[in-house]
Parts: sequence; C-alpha cells; structure tokens
Amino acid sequence: MKRAAVVRGLIRRELGDSLRSRWFVAYSAIFLIGAFALTWFGLSGSEIYGYRGFAKVMAGLVHLALLFVPLMALFPATASIAGEREIGSLEYLVSQPISFSELFWGKWLGVSLAVWLSLLIGFGLAGAAAALSGTPWWLIALLLSLTLLLAEAFVAVGLLCSVLAGSRARATAAGLVVWIVAIGLGTLGIMGAMLRWGLPRSVLSAWAFANPVEAFRLAVIAILDPDGSLLGPVGSSWMATLGPAGVIALCFATLLIWTLVPTALAWLRFRRPQAWASL
Amino acid sequence: MIEARRLHKRYGSHVVLNDLDFTIERGQRLALLGLNGAGKTTLLRCLMGVLSFDGNIAIDGVDVATAGKRVRSLIGYVPQRPPLFQMSLATMVEFFSTLRGLPSRAIADRLESLGLPLSVTGERALSELSGGMLQKALLAVALAADPPVLLLDEPTANLDPRARSEFIRALRQVGPETTIILASHRLDEVEMVADRIWILHGGGRVYDGTLEELRSRSGADSWLWVTTRKEQRDKVREAFIAQAGAASVIANGTHVAVRLPAAGRATALSQLQHAGISIEDFWVVGPALEEIVQAFFIGEDS
Repeated sequence: MKRAAVVRGLIRRELGDSLRSRWFVAYSAIFLIGAFALTWFGLSGSEIYGYRGFAKVMAGLVHLALLFVPLMALFPATASIAGEREIGSLEYLVSQPISFSELFWGKWLGVSLAVWLSLLIGFGLAGAAAALSGTPWWLIALLLSLTLLLAEAFVAVGLLCSVLAGSRARATAAGLVVWIVAIGLGTLGIMGAMLRWGLPRSVLSAWAFANPVEAFRLAVIAILDPDGSLLGPVGSSWMATLGPAGVIALCFATLLIWTLVPTALAWLRFRRPQAWASL
Repeated sequence: MIEARRLHKRYGSHVVLNDLDFTIERGQRLALLGLNGAGKTTLLRCLMGVLSFDGNIAIDGVDVATAGKRVRSLIGYVPQRPPLFQMSLATMVEFFSTLRGLPSRAIADRLESLGLPLSVTGERALSELSGGMLQKALLAVALAADPPVLLLDEPTANLDPRARSEFIRALRQVGPETTIILASHRLDEVEMVADRIWILHGGGRVYDGTLEELRSRSGADSWLWVTTRKEQRDKVREAFIAQAGAASVIANGTHVAVRLPAAGRATALSQLQHAGISIEDFWVVGPALEEIVQAFFIGEDS
C-alpha cells in the first residue's frame, strides 16, 4: 500500500517536472500542431481516395514523428536523473525511506506517462479526424502503438544516458548523438556506404532492423502499403520473404528490444548504491 | 543505538573509512570533525545505506546493508546543499509526506514550530525561499516522524550568521532521545549541539572525546582582548609583548589583544593588575574549529 503510494507520488512529480520543461512543451506543441494540420489538410481529399488518403497523411506524420517523437522522449528522460544529480535533489531523494527500485521505476513511469500523454493528445486529434473520414480504427490504433513504442525506446535511451552521464548536458548530448546516428544514418546513408565500400546487402538489412527509427519507418510503410511498392529493394525483399505481418512483427520486436535493453541497463547501473552520487 | 563493526569504504584505491568500530548510544550528540575529504559525508551516507561498504552497520538492530529502506525510515537527514525541487513549499510538504508515509499535517506542524507556517509561505516556490528557510524546511521534513537518528551534513555551511543561529536554535527543539550526528566545520554549532567529538583522518578516528578536552589537548591559542585607558595602552602592549612576543600582539584604539594558550590568560591579567594598569573590560576570542583541529594535528605530529 505504502509502496504504491510512494511510486504514485514519484510519478506525479516526474510528470509535473516533464510537463514544465520548456523543451518538452515546445516539441510537443510543434508535434501536436503539425499532426493536426497534416491530418486536416491531408484528409481533405479522402472522399476521393478513401482510406488511401490516410496513407498520404501518414507519410507526412511518419516524418514528423521520426523527427519529434525521439526528441520529445529524450529531453525529459535525460534530465530525469542527471538533472537531479546536478542540483543535489537526487542525494536528498535517496536519503528518504524509499527503495532505489521505487525511485527508478517511479521516474521511468513518470517520464513515459508525460511523453505518452503528449503523443496521445497529438495523435488523438489526428486519429479522431482520420476516424471521422472513414479510416479503420485498428489502423489508427496500430500506428499509435508503434509511435508510443518509438517514444518508449527513446525514453529508455535517454534514461540510460541520464544514469551514465555525469551531468545533464552530457546526458542530453549523448541522447542527441544516438538520435542523430539513427536519423542521419538512415537507409540512404547505408546505401551510400554500400556503394562506396562495397558492403554486402545484409548490412543494409541488418541496419533496417537494428535502428529503431528505421524499424518504425518500415513498420508504418508495411502497414499502409502491404504490397511494398513504397519500400526500397531491401524492404521489398523482406516483404516478399516475411510478408507484411512478419515485417511489422519484426519492427515491433526491434522497438521492444530498444525499449527493454537500455531500460534494463539503466536499472542495473542505477541500483548499485553509489551510482546516484558519483559518475 | 548505532553499531558499526569493521566499517570499510574505499573509492578506487583511496581508503576513506578504514575498519571503523564504534557504538553510538541513543540520545548521544556526536560531531564529526576533520579536514575536507576526511570521510565525514561518506560516513553519513554509509549510515543511511545509500553507499555500498564493507563491514556491518546496524541502527536499532536493523542491518543497514540489507534493509536500507527501513533504516532510512529511522533517520532524518539535512544535507549541506538544499535540493532545489521545482515546487512550492506546500507541494514539497505533500510530496515528502507521501515518501515518508506521514500525514502532511506532521510536516506542516513542524514547519509551524520552526517559524515557517504553511499558511504564510506554503505557496512560495522553493527557489524563492532563503537558504535559512530551506534548511528549516528540510529540518521539518527530517523531524516530522520523530526519527531516533538525525544526520546533519554541514547544515549551516551556506547560511548567513542570523540564519545559522536560527537553525541552531531550531535544532535545540530536538528531543533528548534523538541521536544526532553532525558533520561540521563551525564551532558555534558544535558547541551548541554536540557532547562528543570525533576527528576523522586518514580513514580512521583519531580523536574521540569532548570539545573541552580537544581544546586543551590541541593547545590552540585564543586571543585575550583588553580595554584600557588611552594613556595606559602602550604599557599594556609592552607587557603583552614581554609575555608572548610582538608577533602575538595587536593594538587597536584602546583595545589591545594578545594571542595565548588558555593557561596563560590568568597570568597575563594578573601581571597587568600588578603593574597598576586599570582594566576596563576584557574578553576572549577562542580559536575557530579549523584552528583547533589543525593545532590538534600539529600536536599529534610533533
């Protein structure tokens, strides 16, 4: 009973801190406005194209999500532990009669809820507009869950950076490096490298499923375009081998691994008694 | 009661606490002294179970290493640097009441008894409160559950003199059953709070006794100030120089001061009296705590 109350208290505080962060609010606002505008204008031709019109909207939303969802997740997550360590509040929190696991999971849940809440509002508005235009609800739910999972993967990366880095600035910088590598070294970057250094095609395939951003992009395209005509050669061959459901499942698995592994590493590091103090 | 056996803590190859054995009885008031890096904060953190260590510590029979959360419910803690949570004082009271499993009234009542009623200051952000107010708020959180142990890590280090004396006054409200362990560099708070002193150095406890014993053992000098009539000032100065040497004498207006060990003060005053000098006033400015500790180390070395 007391444990639940403690975790609830920690979640509430983390949620409040995240929602007060200027960066988080700015990125959330841009995402919300962008998502709503794309949906509103994109669906204006849906009476002609049917739910294919929604695919056009989603193509825009994917790019918006690829850019903003990781940032929305990274900023509060990187600040959650490194930021507290910097202002001395982490030392004071661990001196209270709470366990390290309550503190860690309270923070994780608080940051996750803040990011999810913000995405649900942004996607909720876009989804409502799409549903009104005849887009099937399961499609909206599938895309929303993929986006939430992408966000969670970057919450996990941000939290790991926050536990490992000595300061908030370093944690944020490390998180941004991961984001830049994931975005910047997209399929085109790897294809360029293949052409330049003659890397085998399997590298590109592996990259597509190792990179959370690429996995998200592939899954969205596989959902909206099951015949794979919008995918490149690698995506098309995967689609031919695994089928759309297999590709989507593999992408979900990639995002899940990107969520679970950094979270587990962050937890293993944080639970060591002195990790909160001296990094 | 706090019991430690072979308490050992190292950071890499640097040993901070080297196989310490100690017992601190309930209600004892202990001051931890030592140079920076001597291990005062590390010892407090080990007692709270927030640092790993070798050996055993038990507080009221509860093992610190295996039951850290339960141990921390027996401890109130005030750090040197108040944490700047982004919240109002009222929200902080609610938040820490939840973490400590207390009704929020318990912290609010403590705040009121320390002169910080929530009805007046509750809506103010913590960042708007003065350092003294923040430390009092942390003391209220620490004392709200009447914990058997209170740990204070240089709690007045960043306070101005007025806030410091207010904080020390507030500390005197702590009941006699509460064990207090205070890490400090300040003589006034050690004098007001502690009945036992430890000096930590080189990983060990090099002194365990009272402040008075430490003062006399260290041999640190005090300044004896004398106020006399203007025409007698030079006579006083010469008498003091004869006793302690020119380097240990200061004259300022009608005041003259001489730096002497405690045993020399009575002699100095009686010499002035025998020389027919009328003393209008006199007072002693004792050595700062750092000077006492330094003098202790010099004495031990020699």
